[in-house]
Amino acid sequence: MSHQPVAVVGIGQTHHKKRRGDVSIAGLVREAAVRALEDANMDWGDIDAVVLGKAPDLFEGVMKPEMYLADALGAVNKPMFRVHTAGSVGGSTGIVGSHLVSSGRHKRVLSLAFEKQSEGNAQFALGGGKSGSIGAGGAFAPFIRAYIRRSGAPEDIGWRVAVKDRLNGAKNPYAHLKLADITIDKVRESPMMWDPLHFLESCPSSDGACAVIFTDEDGGKAASKPPAWVLATAMKSEPSTFAGRDPVSPQAAHDCSDEIYKAIGVTNPREQIDCAELYVPFSWYEPMWLEAHDIAAPGEGWKMTERGDTALGGSFPVNMSGGVLSSNPIGASGLLRFAEAALQVRGQAGDHQVGGAKLAIAQAYGANAQFYAMWAVGSSLNPLG
Amino acid sequence: MPDVVHESVFNLQFPFTRTLGSTLSTFFSALAQGQIIGVRTGGRVIAPPLEYDPDTGADSGTEYVKVGPKGTVSAWTWVPEPTHLHTIKNPFAFAFVTLDGADTAMIHLVDAGSESAMKPGMRVEATFKPVDERVGRIDDILAFVPAADPAPSAGAGDPWDAPAEPEITTQDSFCDLVYVDNTSAPTLLWMESLLNGKLIGQKCPVCNRTFVGPRGLCCIDAVELDESHLVDVPDRGVITNFTVITPVQYPGQLETEPFARCSILLDGTDAVMAQQSILDMPASEVRVGMHVAAVWVPEAERDVSEIGNRGWGSGGDCISGWRHTGQPDEPEENYLERMM
Repeated sequence: MSHQPVAVVGIGQTHHKKRRGDVSIAGLVREAAVRALEDANMDWGDIDAVVLGKAPDLFEGVMKPEMYLADALGAVNKPMFRVHTAGSVGGSTGIVGSHLVSSGRHKRVLSLAFEKQSEGNAQFALGGGKSGSIGAGGAFAPFIRAYIRRSGAPEDIGWRVAVKDRLNGAKNPYAHLKLADITIDKVRESPMMWDPLHFLESCPSSDGACAVIFTDEDGGKAASKPPAWVLATAMKSEPSTFAGRDPVSPQAAHDCSDEIYKAIGVTNPREQIDCAELYVPFSWYEPMWLEAHDIAAPGEGWKMTERGDTALGGSFPVNMSGGVLSSNPIGASGLLRFAEAALQVRGQAGDHQVGGAKLAIAQAYGANAQFYAMWAVGSSLNPLG
Repeated sequence: MPDVVHESVFNLQFPFTRTLGSTLSTFFSALAQGQIIGVRTGGRVIAPPLEYDPDTGADSGTEYVKVGPKGTVSAWTWVPEPTHLHTIKNPFAFAFVTLDGADTAMIHLVDAGSESAMKPGMRVEATFKPVDERVGRIDDILAFVPAADPAPSAGAGDPWDAPAEPEITTQDSFCDLVYVDNTSAPTLLWMESLLNGKLIGQKCPVCNRTFVGPRGLCCIDAVELDESHLVDVPDRGVITNFTVITPVQYPGQLETEPFARCSILLDGTDAVMAQQSILDMPASEVRVGMHVAAVWVPEAERDVSEIGNRGWGSGGDCISGWRHTGQPDEPEENYLERMM
């Protein structure tokens, strides 16, 4: 399949909060979009197509928000797309936007993802509108329990991830949670929410949006700020349940990163990739994804966490932005991962910048750990030389 | 004896809360005072105001102007039989009304008595709820009615001096939806077996996986499964994994105390029932390896109306939960890695 190079030239996000009582949903998405347009030195009229992503409409109770938001996002007389792949939707939204450029169909595309959780209730929505919702934490806690047994990891690994990501979040001006004084003790002593997950090992509910602007090779080279080049994209799915499914290290997660690595010639991800933004809504998912994406050997992911390799100053930084554990506007959470990876290779991640990052990956997952989206971005079209 | 349910009825209700943002807060705060406003942007007045110019996406600014209360109907549709969700109970029109001083139409009700009274170009006038009943919502305007005097509204187009901090910044949006779902053939089989106090699955002839309850397909081999693939499965098994959930209190939540949800590997099969509840045991004592048996609701009281088409493995109101059998725990090698 021939395709054209794609550059990320604009990134914008909102200040994520528990409740953005100062803006409507339209105001929220426009805040992110306007920042991305400013970053790209573009105006609404420069955009050829808009891709909108968010998690289930039941979160806000606004059905088909792409209809309500078409003119708010300057999409009048332009193609508009709605993407929905549960928690991975933000990643999918970025990928769809990039494909509209790589296919040669459009020159400048805006991908935008959002959630305004404060307008409804996530546990209600995830429970299908009924009592006794197990929520995302209740769905994933058994997978985490299985990982802990399988790997023999000590119980403090989850607490360490919770602390590390919140310390990173404290350096990110847009993060919802800024818990600079968080400690292992505070995580351990926080209430048990979804055994074995404590409150502080769980993501918050946030209002927020993220916008990414894509353009072609000429546009990337002419951009006023350094672009991030989209080197590879992949999306994989698998059924939610069947006898013998391995939800701890799902096949679709492996297939997703395998495809990315093969496409860009990565044979040793741990050494060749500079940093990663992985979808970690509950602390233990850091070591689980390190293993599922072959950054660590099976059963060894937790050792990277324990050694501090995944800290901002470590040998393989993970979730420099603070991750989903620091901000979780669900629909936007995947695109925030993708955007942070791009910020890193553009050298524009501010206080959470990994020095000299040339190649970064970002991942998002969703539903019953069954939908996966991943991309690799580089500071050049050939960062591995 | 209770019967299967061919139509599942689900009533979805939730009190959503809208945040209005600056522009709509200004509009609804003015509306509560009986004043309709628009915003001047792109060389025209948009009413009700939007935060952005809908043609270009540009910010529409804060140059607010008074519009109405009279306006002109440009198009309409008649509603002969209002439902319980409509705000007025007699037949009415949904109409585009371009308010005096505005360049765009707003949609609202026109209460004109009869369909024959409706015509394009008719002059109408807003009628408001009494001041003490207004909440800053679009139905603070009860309806538009034929204008007694077609002359232009006084003051339309004049500037509106908006307060720096509008009084009304949020809006309740109560969702009330009724879904009626036709029950699928495999779910009818599942309902019937539950009402008979029996668990069944469908076994894929290709991979030999058993799906409890029946799904009508194997999601691995993409083959259809029907009544010929039904197998009985035991209502006893071993807990292979679990979590204890601290319930978040949302509208409609009935759980107040932490509750356990378990994966149960049914004896002698590779089939796991997920998210099952455990009876007569504190959640904190639930453990993997425990032998449990289903506790069936008395036959006459069984009810499958809550199962729905996607309730694979849901016992509905036929199994009240699972109870520890008292047997010694199963050795871990017999259930490890079997949570699905």
